[in-house]
Amino acid sequence: MYWVSVITEAGIFAILALGLDMVWGWCGDFDLAFYGYLALGSYMTFVLAIGRPTPPVEYIIGWHLPVLVAIVLADVAVVALAAVIGAIALRNLRDIYFAVTTLGAVSALYLIVQTYTPLFDGFNGVYGLINPGQAALHLTYNGYRIVLLVVVLLILFLAYLLVQRLSRSPFGRMLRAVREDERAAAAYGRTVFSAKYRAYLFGAALAGLTGGLFAIFISAFNPSAWTPQELLVIYAAILVGGRGNPRGVIVGVFVVYTGFVELTRFLPSPASRPEFGPAMRQILIGLLIILMLRFRPEGIFRERPGVDREQAPGGRPGRLRARAAASAASAPAGPAASAPAGPAAKDGGTQ
Amino acid sequence: MSPALLEIESLTKSFGGVHAVRECTFSVSEGQVIGLIGPNGAGKSTVVDLVSGFGQPDSGSIRFAGEQLVGKRPDVISRRGLIRTFQTPREWRNLTVMDNVLLARRRFASESLWRSMTRARRIRREEEKDRAEVRAILQRFQLAELKNELAVRLSGGQKRLLEFARIAAAEPRLVILDEPMGGVNPVLGARIGEAVQAFAQEGRTVIVVEHNLPFIEKTCDQVVVMDLGEVIAQGPFSGLRDNPRVVDAYLGMDQSRE
Repeated sequence: MYWVSVITEAGIFAILALGLDMVWGWCGDFDLAFYGYLALGSYMTFVLAIGRPTPPVEYIIGWHLPVLVAIVLADVAVVALAAVIGAIALRNLRDIYFAVTTLGAVSALYLIVQTYTPLFDGFNGVYGLINPGQAALHLTYNGYRIVLLVVVLLILFLAYLLVQRLSRSPFGRMLRAVREDERAAAAYGRTVFSAKYRAYLFGAALAGLTGGLFAIFISAFNPSAWTPQELLVIYAAILVGGRGNPRGVIVGVFVVYTGFVELTRFLPSPASRPEFGPAMRQILIGLLIILMLRFRPEGIFRERPGVDREQAPGGRPGRLRARAAASAASAPAGPAASAPAGPAAKDGGTQ
Repeated sequence: MSPALLEIESLTKSFGGVHAVRECTFSVSEGQVIGLIGPNGAGKSTVVDLVSGFGQPDSGSIRFAGEQLVGKRPDVISRRGLIRTFQTPREWRNLTVMDNVLLARRRFASESLWRSMTRARRIRREEEKDRAEVRAILQRFQLAELKNELAVRLSGGQKRLLEFARIAAAEPRLVILDEPMGGVNPVLGARIGEAVQAFAQEGRTVIVVEHNLPFIEKTCDQVVVMDLGEVIAQGPFSGLRDNPRVVDAYLGMDQSRE
């Protein structure tokens, strides 16, 4: 069951990483607020689904909605917050200024949630979403966790298909043009802010969804579950897997989460120094980032430029490609998928 | 004389204490090829920035096809049919040559987030027509072989050609070329001259900012001369040699002011 839990967690974070990569990989904006979107999505899912608070616990709303409805509404709240932060940060700020602004935003959110108890009960946080639907589905605890894993992987797969489609679409190509040279993009008629903003909101929606799934996964959420630094692990994963390549991003998350974060748990940890393990993990992730940047800065899977192939006259490219795409889609996400997807993905836009 | 496509009136812009452009007035008729010349620091590039929306004038008016451009964003101006280049080629480096030129086709409708999600197949089918046209354009600029290369890998000269391929794909009404001959060898220079003439033959209006006077003389119908932020002369190139202000400010600089 341990590995079920590890893979579920990696799957959840892979969805977040897909959203974050749209902002960092496609648009080139180093955002530090995304973990805040996950957190807000998580909190909102709780307060919309777990019912009225019993004193001394306090939090807002306190509805008793079905958990799926709660996740959707929570995601709306997340996109609304991202709309405000994005409108401020994306308009004129770039590079380090953008990063600092988003870091400021998420730090403010963190402090407010932590100290203003009527919101989400401050340090204690919210809890009580224990395996929603387990009874209705007649599942054992372990059975439920496995179903949750399958659901998470399914959602991840759908998110991947959607993001991959966008990545290769004219929309994805336009975002990359904006990333490569904003002034040239504007000179050719692209509204830079609106382009970045749309990608940002889409990415934030994925982050909010991640928060909802995370709420179900861990059943309780408080400020110790999310510090802004957590996002750096996701960045490491994107870097390892391949910035700008959705498939690479997912592989990167699984490599970093299962390979690094979890395997380092088995490192011997002297009883007198319980902080040794987590500290080692941070150091190893830092080392991994440095090594990747030195030896393979583009990641395991590089961003794939669109390759133009001429169509035979009279051919029916649409249908042919659809079939090829379907065969690629049936293969699992990961290295195995690259072979059948290769020729199909090459035709068309940028990946 | 056809009506003016671009009318610039009393355009003024200063950066701090520097008057980059002062009461600059000139107009360009539809279909003309205009050379904008003047010594370094004359304000030519500032005028280009102001016209294309990359800077806002302190005062003055810029009319394009009768419409006021002052206050409009560069992307809005570009969509009205005005495409400018920059002194150094600004290709989208990590996109392919093909994608660079496809983007210049400016199919904004297909770049909608929603349509990209829901109509992916249809968009790709529509794009096939554009791809065919872009392949022909690449052929014309000797870039066909390189269509799947990343633009960052092109040589300096090829980047210039890519810039022209993008303009050809964009089909603008007015093109402003900011020093297209910078760092260009004579063979490539001849090709660029042909490209400018081809734009003119297609009915596009062209403004060329350039220091290479033989190039200006050969390709331009008229010349606007600027010095110290002001327009000091406008007319056919042949008349300039007799204009003492121009000779003083620019043509004579080869010996005295370089």
